Amino acid sequence: MRVLRGFALLVLAGGLAFGENKVILKKPPKSLHKYYPPKSKNFEFLNNMYIMSTSFFGINLNINEGNWKGALEWANRLRDTYKKTSRMVPEWKKYFKPALADDLVKAVKSKNVDKVIKASKKLGQTCASCHRDNEIAVKLVYHYPSFDNLKLEDPVEFMEVKVGKYMEKMTNSLKALRIYLTQGQKDMAQEAGTNFAERVRGLRAMCSKCHTDKASEEIYMGKNLESALTKLEELLSAEKLDQKAIFSTLDRISMTCAKCHNVHLVPAMVQEALAK
Amino acid sequence: MIPLIILLAFLLAGCEKLESVFIEEDLLQRPQAKRCMDCHADIYEEWKESRHYHAWTSEQFKIESENYSKLKCLPCHAPHQVDPDKKPVLRAEFKADGVSCVACHFKEETKSMHGPLKVWSPPHPSKKDLAYVRSNFCAGCHQETFKEWRRSGTIKTCQSCHMPDLGKKDLIQKFPYYLFHLSKPRSSHRFPSLKAKPEDLRFELKDNVLYITNYRIPHNLPTADQGDPRLYIIARVYYRNGKVRTVRKLLSAQSKQVLAFREPFPLKLPKGEIEEVRVRVLRKLAWKKEKDLIGEFRIPSPSHARGGQSTQGGGPQ
Ligand code: HEC
Ligand code: HEC
Ligand code: HEC
Ligand code: HEC
Ligand code: HEC
Ligand code: HEC
Ligand code: HEC
Ligand code: HEC
Repeated sequence: MRVLRGFALLVLAGGLAFGENKVILKKPPKSLHKYYPPKSKNFEFLNNMYIMSTSFFGINLNINEGNWKGALEWANRLRDTYKKTSRMVPEWKKYFKPALADDLVKAVKSKNVDKVIKASKKLGQTCASCHRDNEIAVKLVYHYPSFDNLKLEDPVEFMEVKVGKYMEKMTNSLKALRIYLTQGQKDMAQEAGTNFAERVRGLRAMCSKCHTDKASEEIYMGKNLESALTKLEELLSAEKLDQKAIFSTLDRISMTCAKCHNVHLVPAMVQEALAK
Repeated sequence: MIPLIILLAFLLAGCEKLESVFIEEDLLQRPQAKRCMDCHADIYEEWKESRHYHAWTSEQFKIESENYSKLKCLPCHAPHQVDPDKKPVLRAEFKADGVSCVACHFKEETKSMHGPLKVWSPPHPSKKDLAYVRSNFCAGCHQETFKEWRRSGTIKTCQSCHMPDLGKKDLIQKFPYYLFHLSKPRSSHRFPSLKAKPEDLRFELKDNVLYITNYRIPHNLPTADQGDPRLYIIARVYYRNGKVRTVRKLLSAQSKQVLAFREPFPLKLPKGEIEEVRVRVLRKLAWKKEKDLIGEFRIPSPSHARGGQSTQGGGPQ
């Protein structure tokens, strides 16, 4: 059990690199591209990661059961994969310490549990230091779908625009609504409000470009939102504008924006920054 | 000629069943669609013009699936086997064939081609299967449309509209097989998208609201699962005082702004005494850049019509 705990610690170590007052994300190097779609569908780099972490566990499991022969096989596999991986991305060569993988094999051969723990820890630190610098950026670039190549039809101008542009148009009609309301310009407020409501409804056309489960869409774009939009339209077509009620309805609608941004906007922005 | 070939076949076969002489083993090993063309040439040509043929190679699909890397997008666009009501799994081979002949007709369970007919098909075993003439055959992939269709309560199947009857024809064009077979009922494998006809829509003007109803298409207009088809409504509103206003409305299957079957959709028109509304309705299919015109309609105000004007072109009924 002692050993198991030791290993679990190692492989989980990672997180984010941080300096004084800042968190650092590094752009994935060019030569990594070829191990991900569209260049490759086999995720060769990621698969080696799985092999290495399984091998770590294989050593650990076998030693706990007293099977040193089995442990040695996994140690060899770990060493071989580690060395192979070190040649895959030249820009990352410095993260690898192949001698430490040899040391781990030797430690297993010696059948000395303490030596194995020590060697594992040392090797594990090389894994963790690369993860700290690179794992999150790689996940965002290669695993998070991109908003950048999606287009949406603007329901007011009948024109297809990119997601960012759509958000801008929608936000502008929201701002216009607030301004006209404050200035007491009823007709203008009504028009801006109708455009805003239409644009919010139109947002939903984007979800199916990534989601295949309509239940996900309902969470943010479901009945609650529709009832707030209908309410907004009613309030805007009333004889006298009830500013307070309108603003509180807008707050209800903004909940959708905020929730959706919490899940999607941050990755989209970091992804965009990494693409530059 | 015909008796000669049959005789020859019997001679070759001896006591064996005639089928085993003509059986072509590779047909049961999930070949490419073009292999089916060797005999079913006409059906193949139709299918090649259908969207099912383009399901995998579609440029838009390639973009939105990020070059086939969004794995959950792939199964319906290159299915392994189609079963009623079941979402398919991804096929391993010949993905470029999209929604293919083998996927829709070959069943692993019986190692034979299932279809709507009772046939004698020596090159490959066949099995009559009435699942093929029911709407839920399409439901595993067209999930949303199927739900809408069921809600409509209609008895018309998807196939009756989207695989229209072609009359009796040969299923096969290859010598010598076509000599043995009578022509049979054929249904179009073009899977036409169709287009609403002006008379499928109804309009009613009441208290400055124009109610638009999809009266005859037993699913939403537009309808979609993952595509993004749209309907454009452009209404020119003519007022008694000579003013004219334009109201535009975008309907889209994905944003749930649709003409549901026989549910009037209210389009609010600006205040004022209306004389007449002229409406243009266009649609854009999910895979097409251009818009197609569905129709142009003139809807006089009901009070105006009572005054003796005609209600030509789809007025309130
Ligand atoms: C040179 C950099 C580097 C080194 C060294 C490295 N890794 Fe990784 N590792 C990555 C990157 C980048 C990812 C993210 C890959 C992805 O998500 O496609 C990752 C992801 C992983 C994952 C998570 C896979 C998942 O589920 O998303 C595991 C487990 C892993 N590595 C194990 C290891 C082990 C064990 C070692 C050391 C023996 C190691 N890695 C060494 C860069 C490295
Ligand atoms: C560019 C791709 C993309 C688009 C467009 C997108 N999402 Fe997501 N969304 C994701 C990803 C990636 C996740 C993380 C979970 C996952 O991988 O499914 C997620 C997670 C979610 C979640 C939480 C997990 C779940 O599936 O329930 C919800 C809810 C959600 N999205 C709703 C929406 C809605 C509503 C829209 C449209 C307004 C939308 N998404 C548009 C990519 C997208
Ligand atoms: C998919 C869920 C989703 C919903 C719902 C949503 N947004 Fe966004 N929003 C995004 C994404 C993704 C971006 C980044 C787009 C890009 O730049 O490519 C974004 C960007 C923005 C931006 C620009 C942000 C910046 O700092 O650059 C504004 C402003 C904005 N949205 C406003 C809104 C408002 C207002 C609403 C609600 C009425 C809303 N959004 C609803 C996903 C969503
Ligand atoms: C449940 C089956 C199913 C899944 C899963 C699926 N699709 Fe589709 N897709 C369809 C059907 C059916 C159509 C035909 C039009 C319609 O009904 O939406 C279609 C049409 C399309 C179209 C429009 C036609 C074209 O070629 O331009 C695009 C684009 C598309 N899908 C992209 C996707 C993307 C992206 C995903 C994953 C997020 C996906 N599909 C997942 C069934 C599916
Ligand atoms: C060598 C000729 C030949 C080839 C190649 C061939 N078929 Fe057939 N197929 C037949 C014949 C003969 C019939 C029966 C025709 C008749 O009764 O008029 C038939 C009938 C069918 C039927 C109707 C079954 C029913 O019960 O309704 C289906 C479905 C079918 N074939 C599918 C396929 C598919 C899919 C392929 C390609 C994998 C294929 N066939 C390739 C000769 C062929
Ligand atoms: C294996 C999944 C699957 C099955 C089963 C299926 N379809 Fe489809 N269908 C699709 C996909 C995917 C598309 C979109 C292809 C594209 O354009 O990229 C499509 C497109 C269509 C279209 C064209 C839609 C448009 O946007 O123009 C029609 C019509 C259609 N299917 C009818 C049917 C009918 C009728 C059935 C049942 C007899 C059926 N489909 C069964 C997956 C399927
Ligand atoms: C989307 C699924 C689908 C695809 C793809 C498809 N079929 Fe069919 N096929 C059907 C259905 C459903 C019927 C029954 C139509 C009916 O009777 O209403 C049918 C009927 C048939 C029949 C009986 C004659 C007829 O016209 O009704 C034959 C033969 C046949 N298909 C062969 C083929 C061949 C060959 C291909 C490829 C070139 C093919 N099918 C592609 C669904 C499909
Ligand atoms: C009574 C005839 C009829 C029946 C039954 C029918 N449809 Fe349609 N369908 C149409 C017409 C007409 C259109 C063209 C609408 C338009 O103008 O865009 C259409 C359009 C479509 C489209 C293209 C998207 C769109 O909105 O234009 C798909 C996909 C579709 N139908 C699938 C199905 C499926 C699946 C079923 C069965 C569950 C079905 N249809 C049943 C008549 C029918």
